[in-house]
Amino acid sequence: MTKRSSPTRDISAVSSRRAVLKALGLASALCPFGGMAVAEGTATPPAGRHVTDAPVANAASPHDRVPFHGAHQAGITTPRPANGMIASFDVVADTPDALERLFRRLTQRISFLTAGGTIDETDPRLPPPDSGIVGPVVRPDGLTVTVSLGASLFEDRPWLVRLKPRRLIRMTRFPNDALDRQNCHGDLALQICANTQDTTIHALRDIIKNCPDQLILKWKQEGNVPVIVPGPDGTVQSARNFLGFRDGSANPDAADAALMDRLVWVGEDRDEPAWAVGGSYQAVRIIRNFVERWDRTPLREQELIMGRVKNSGAPLHRRGGHEFMVPDFSDDPKGVTTPVDAHIRLANPRTDDTRDSLILRRPFNYSNGVTRSGQLDQGLLFICYQADLERGFIAVQRRLDGEPLEEYIKPVGGGYFYVLPGVHSDADHLGSALIAAARTGLAESVNREKRTR
Amino acid sequence: MIRKHVLAALALIAVSTGSSTAQNTTLDLVEPITEYKIYVTEKLDRLVADTKTFTDAVKAGDVTKAKALFAPTRMSYEAVEPIAELFSDLDASIDSRADDHEKAEADPDFTGFHRIEHGLWVKNSTADLAPFADKLMSDVTELRKRITALTLPPDKVVGGAAVLMEEVAATKISGEEDRYSHTDLWDFRANFDGSYKIVELVRPLIAKKEAAFLAKVDANFSKVSNTLDKYKQGAGYVSYEKLTEDDRKVLAVAVNTLAEDLSTLRAKLGLD
Ligand code: HEM
Repeated sequence: MTKRSSPTRDISAVSSRRAVLKALGLASALCPFGGMAVAEGTATPPAGRHVTDAPVANAASPHDRVPFHGAHQAGITTPRPANGMIASFDVVADTPDALERLFRRLTQRISFLTAGGTIDETDPRLPPPDSGIVGPVVRPDGLTVTVSLGASLFEDRPWLVRLKPRRLIRMTRFPNDALDRQNCHGDLALQICANTQDTTIHALRDIIKNCPDQLILKWKQEGNVPVIVPGPDGTVQSARNFLGFRDGSANPDAADAALMDRLVWVGEDRDEPAWAVGGSYQAVRIIRNFVERWDRTPLREQELIMGRVKNSGAPLHRRGGHEFMVPDFSDDPKGVTTPVDAHIRLANPRTDDTRDSLILRRPFNYSNGVTRSGQLDQGLLFICYQADLERGFIAVQRRLDGEPLEEYIKPVGGGYFYVLPGVHSDADHLGSALIAAARTGLAESVNREKRTR
Repeated sequence: MIRKHVLAALALIAVSTGSSTAQNTTLDLVEPITEYKIYVTEKLDRLVADTKTFTDAVKAGDVTKAKALFAPTRMSYEAVEPIAELFSDLDASIDSRADDHEKAEADPDFTGFHRIEHGLWVKNSTADLAPFADKLMSDVTELRKRITALTLPPDKVVGGAAVLMEEVAATKISGEEDRYSHTDLWDFRANFDGSYKIVELVRPLIAKKEAAFLAKVDANFSKVSNTLDKYKQGAGYVSYEKLTEDDRKVLAVAVNTLAEDLSTLRAKLGLD
């Protein structure tokens, strides 16, 4: 039905920060988590582009193409483009066959949308096959669509329940949460990211149109990240969130494959079901920011709450420095410079026993409208990835519970999902290993029944 | 699967693009349209009669009787809604909801079925409802008059099958239509029956070429029907609030799929 467009640029592995920082002679500051690199004897600093590096002004192109095939799905360790959204769905699929039908259709749509192509012309008396919002030629535009599954998908289906990833649970409330059930959970989530908002919306509408009999949209949240103009020296700094602070400075380096294998991807050593290898846990949180109140808070207090200098993003103990300097709390046990309850200090205390709670953040800012009280409804569409949900997001959030920042933020929605492993080739499809495992399980239980009869 | 339909429809169009064949296609529709007109007339006669009994009960101050008649009276309206909606002034005064109006329930322009529903269920009273009852009666009488005089446009009739599903998908599946009485399942039944009627009438024209399409549409209609049957009570249905989450999902995907598939019905019949 569609032809692929060309030419495209593969942007799965653009490298920017390292080159720039090296040139600045700052490479030693690159290790994103304190003493760790030393402890592990990593001599060279991690290379490549961080996921949360800001999208660079005028650098994005409609021809940017993030490859769909691979051991892992795209949209996690691939650079974060300017626009992103999470859409969550209920799934109607009573059998492995039905679920496979959905996975195959998603695979087919996503592989087309992320590659781009020309929409066929059809008889004008028919509804057009495509919404047309990006025109008759669909360009890849840096699009990624990442498919993940919620606990309910497994729990509501007897033939899937024993295949549920071991740490996947329905998101539970943290003390500061005011969760709106209209904006929580779901059987299946799509994280859709692209250079432009139109491309993300186009992809969502395409998928909704093509799966009306199996997907029921439950909620969605869109967001974006500011595009950054590089400094005179070529440095690209992290984009700011709606509290005005740079967000992403200390994120682990997504270009370091070994690091990602340890922190983000579920490997064979994780005692997860075999089908889940190559996947990842995704935590999504819609966190409202009380921006009017924040803007009425003294600058010094804002900085103490976050643990960083607002303008530059530098850690407080390196006031004159820059955002990529590694926070170090070792000679400040009482929290004189960086309060012990500062956001970054609680989130990552940089101690031996918190090392395994590192997470890969990939958030977007959102701006929705006005609340009933006449305040701006803005915040952070927080998304993070980890190989172990309990040791990752949940542990970090538990440490953050009660942090001073809570006065200015309110988590109102989100959910936990398990990202399916990647699609290896055109012959493969999303969730193929899960479907195969579900079928084997069904066959076994039928045999067992026969035997007992 | 959708693609197959598209191709099949293209094949049909290919034979019907010559002007004489296009003419034939329209001619073929004469019989179904005539039959549909009879169907609509019957529904409107019924609507006028039922509305009389209903509004009489309201004016007599009989809350219990009025409540019992509310949902069944609406069904004849809901079944032919796409035609009734051709007269948007009447549709607004007969069937608009509170949130169609700036001042919601307090808005003077909020009239019709749902205004009376609000009084009966929220206030549990017929107080102040008499003027709304009179207005509703005169509106449905006027509606019958106008539709009787109308030559039904084929595209509106055939398109109506999808329009009914679009309405359910967009603003009814959530239970927001009959929000005070929760009698939504009665409305659903009428909407689905109205849509199915149209498919039935044009079925002979496409039965051969569109067998797979019709089989899929039929399967979704029967899924809906079987699901609604679970909630039958007496001559009608239990409260929308009794609808389980699972069944709501079954209905939602069936409605969306019907809306998607029936959106090609006009083209399949060579209509613009
Ligand atoms: C609206 C809510 C939030 C805001 C405004 C916010 C803001 C920030 C900022 C400005 C930084 C410093 C720059 C950086 O390293 O990226 C940061 C770091 C961090 N945040 Fe948040 N954050 C929020 C929610 C969360 C949540 C919910 C979590 C996880 C449960 C989290 C985990 C982290 C981590 C792990 C770091 C890096 C700490 C480090 O390694 O030094 N944040 N956040």
